Amino acid sequence: MTAPADNKPLLDVRGLTIEIDTRRGPAVIVDGINLTVGKGETVGVVGESGCGKSLTMLSLVRLLPNKIRVKSGTAEFAGRDLLKMSKSELRQVRGGKIGFVFQDPMTSLNPVMRIGDQLCEPLIYHRNMSKADARERAIELLRLVGIPGPEQRIEAYPHELSGGMRQRVMIAIGLACDPELLIADEPTTALDVTIQAQIVDLVKDLRKKLNMSVVWITHDLALIAGLVDRVAVLYAGTVVEDAPVNELFARPTHPYTRGLLASIPKLSDERASRLSSIGGTPPEPGRRPKGCPFAPRCALAESVCHERVPVLEPVAGSTGHRVACFVAQRQMMEAA
Amino acid sequence: MAAEPLIKVENLVKHFVVRLGAFGERGATVYAVDDVNFDIFAGETLSLVGESGCGKSTTGFTLLNLQKATSGKVLFQGENIVSLDEKRMRPYRRELQIVFQDPYSTLNPRMTIGEVVGEPILFHKLATKAELPERVSRLLADVGLPARFAQRYPHELSGGQRQRVAIARALACEPKFIVCDEAISALDVSVQAQIINLLLDLQEKYGLTYLFIAHDLAVVRHISTRVGVMYLGRMAELASREQLFSNPLHPYTKALLSAVPEADPELEKTRQRQILTGDVPSPLAPPAGCRFHTRCPIAMDKCKAVVPEWREVVPGHHVACHAVEQGAAG
Amino acid sequence: MTITPVILSSTVADDEPPVSLWRDAWHRLLRNKLAVAGLAVVILLAFVAVFGPWLTPYDFLTQDLNARNQAPSLAHLFGTDDLGRDVFSRVVYGTRTAFVVAIVVTAIAVVIGVALGAMAGFFGGMFDRIVMWFTDMTMSVPNLLLVVVINASLKTPITAWMEARYQATLNPFYRETIWVDFLLVFGSMALISWPPYARLVRAQVLSIRGRPYVTAARALGLTNRLILMRYIVPNAIGPLIVSVSAGLGTAMVLESAFSFLGVGVNPPTPSWGNMISDGLRVWQHYPHLLAAPAAVLGLATVAFSFLGDGLNDALNPRGSK
Repeated sequence: MTAPADNKPLLDVRGLTIEIDTRRGPAVIVDGINLTVGKGETVGVVGESGCGKSLTMLSLVRLLPNKIRVKSGTAEFAGRDLLKMSKSELRQVRGGKIGFVFQDPMTSLNPVMRIGDQLCEPLIYHRNMSKADARERAIELLRLVGIPGPEQRIEAYPHELSGGMRQRVMIAIGLACDPELLIADEPTTALDVTIQAQIVDLVKDLRKKLNMSVVWITHDLALIAGLVDRVAVLYAGTVVEDAPVNELFARPTHPYTRGLLASIPKLSDERASRLSSIGGTPPEPGRRPKGCPFAPRCALAESVCHERVPVLEPVAGSTGHRVACFVAQRQMMEAA
Repeated sequence: MAAEPLIKVENLVKHFVVRLGAFGERGATVYAVDDVNFDIFAGETLSLVGESGCGKSTTGFTLLNLQKATSGKVLFQGENIVSLDEKRMRPYRRELQIVFQDPYSTLNPRMTIGEVVGEPILFHKLATKAELPERVSRLLADVGLPARFAQRYPHELSGGQRQRVAIARALACEPKFIVCDEAISALDVSVQAQIINLLLDLQEKYGLTYLFIAHDLAVVRHISTRVGVMYLGRMAELASREQLFSNPLHPYTKALLSAVPEADPELEKTRQRQILTGDVPSPLAPPAGCRFHTRCPIAMDKCKAVVPEWREVVPGHHVACHAVEQGAAG
Repeated sequence: MTITPVILSSTVADDEPPVSLWRDAWHRLLRNKLAVAGLAVVILLAFVAVFGPWLTPYDFLTQDLNARNQAPSLAHLFGTDDLGRDVFSRVVYGTRTAFVVAIVVTAIAVVIGVALGAMAGFFGGMFDRIVMWFTDMTMSVPNLLLVVVINASLKTPITAWMEARYQATLNPFYRETIWVDFLLVFGSMALISWPPYARLVRAQVLSIRGRPYVTAARALGLTNRLILMRYIVPNAIGPLIVSVSAGLGTAMVLESAFSFLGVGVNPPTPSWGNMISDGLRVWQHYPHLLAAPAAVLGLATVAFSFLGDGLNDALNPRGSK
């Protein structure tokens, strides 16, 4: 459920714009994103590859790759702007108050370090724990994320664990310092469905136990349906729709969200019936069209859509549901 | 389904031997596909589902004789094609095609799209050089690409467009049968639906038969006629789409279906899930008896020792599980 | 029957001409300033090597005992050596030696390495194991030792044989001991230079052989020969080009090193290596005798290295991004 309105959100990103250097000069790949995450809230950030969902999150802790940088915007975390923090302050946040879980546990874990040492590192660094205490805590964390025989597994190297187990270790590292916010970037994409179900269940369970906020980045709308409180849909570097999860699935308003939902095969479908699909392909990062980025693929696009960029406006008759679409906004006006 | 099958797979086995040690003196066997039986009927879409390492892709590759089968038969037009050498296999290659998962490595980066699609046509002498440009444009049109793309190189195309070219290349041979090996798994959600529609359209237009290998059950449910579930190299269950999704018999199928998320928050909140514990064992050392017994919620003593027989429990519904009664309707 | 409507490409604009990966790589190379500078120096040196005899004011052997050990001047750009020979002319001829040795050695090494590596990678099995065992054995012998042993054991018998042939035929060809030098230098250097090429090509072929587009070609029924020529070779050649560019530079350094040690090209034939060796003995008095050949050798090495790096970035754009 969304945090009460009077409560300040834990994370408040405003007007975040990210640029990439290309041969043709700098190009905007994330364009003025606004995103809030309340205390104890789980937010799904949904979008296709290249929509800027991962870059947005990486930029918060200044882990952007080369040639990509934040151009403007603020990102307040617990009242402080992450983008203006000094490097040493940031290091306290990174892996401390904000935990990360990445997509590929094999490449995110250091292959030549025992998982116990990788778990202890943030504890010793952020919490000034002694080695023995850190080890105790590491075992406790491994038990928390459901790894059997944590006393033995703590001595294992990453390659000795299965993919699902490695992702559990990644989550344990993300949780090591009791973060207030856990950012999970496609944490189950590389995993099989039965393992994915285990990980989803684990995160649901932990979030309640630890009362933390979670941002779950994914391309899979079905996956987050039962997992998050609120969803932000990204397309080509902008938030096109932002709504409580039930509201989004019941009343998708942006043509892109509607297209995405309609293109997911459903239980009730006839065999081999045509799926409704969105024509064309998403623009390449750095080659975003003028106006609404979705306009070239949008069946409802009007001339204004190719000229100006729509901003997020509240959807009439619901709380916390906002959409950035000229056509949808006009239709609401007419209906009202 | 009284018709004679297009392809009959009988007791297909594929074991890989991996060499270990400095001089390859120690060998270990990967039991990738073990004693798999199924038929594929003309015009249908048979899907193979299962988790990574279950042997579904290896089944597809072995079936096309792209990997040598360890034993067993694959009968196509009365010939056991897995016993043929490359030369005698050549005429069958034209009729049996494949589309791969990764759109970025499926096309030779040094060839233009026109060359990619035209090569099989010239090689199998399906058209003369003079007829080629027209053939290529027609194939590109079939997969929804403009003819001018023939001049382009793969790196100039998006993932979805490349996958369309890969489909056009397979179609160029005028095949009867196409293996789609995770053909849509690597694509963006909005593009996946386009390619699914394309595959369905082409099936209707050319009367194609598909073996659709995938792990996304929602997609499989959408496009299949029949579905086979594999676990650790063995078939667990095979039934019509309706039977499998509404009345799964094998405990693994049940768990797999229950793990698939639905795009419906209300349903997801109330849904009872059966979550399997543990991981898939290594195919280097599969468990004895039923390979699923280590994770099975209803495993009995018998399951640990005896390999369950592959039986047709009701017409058209095959399952390999000791706990399923003959004639079980669910 | 409806087929999905033609989709608009958002990846390429319609008016942009198609660009092959080769053209693309060439453009990337031209944007790399260091690589272009390297390429320019390499072309200049190659030009000097080819047209050297028409560029130099003096013969490299002509001694002028009245003008010994002169400092650089307009008459002698790099000065003269202890026998009064023009150092500029000798450096120019040394360039010729360096290029001939580098090109011939690299060519032999590439032919051996590519043939063995490609077959080992493509066919695998026993053949692969034998080739790789042989490659590892060759690589494990210290280079210098091998070259010294070959020179020491073969030079005398070959020279004697040449002298005998001359006595028998009076063909002046057999009087040219330079051929013996070249044969031994080429032979021994090629012998130690091919294994890296074999390894590189084998690894390339192994990785390309497993790519889906090769499997797709097999699924189309294409013959092994077609698959090798159209799929594997064109895709394996990029890293080979990089390696050859770096290899040419390495071969020049090797030749100089061997000549410096007296197991390469022998005087009076000019080589940067034996010039450096001579210059080193008197460098405190006549530094130009050391500086000229050393500077040119350094320039050539750096040029090939920049060119190699540039080619690498151009041909493997993902690595450089």
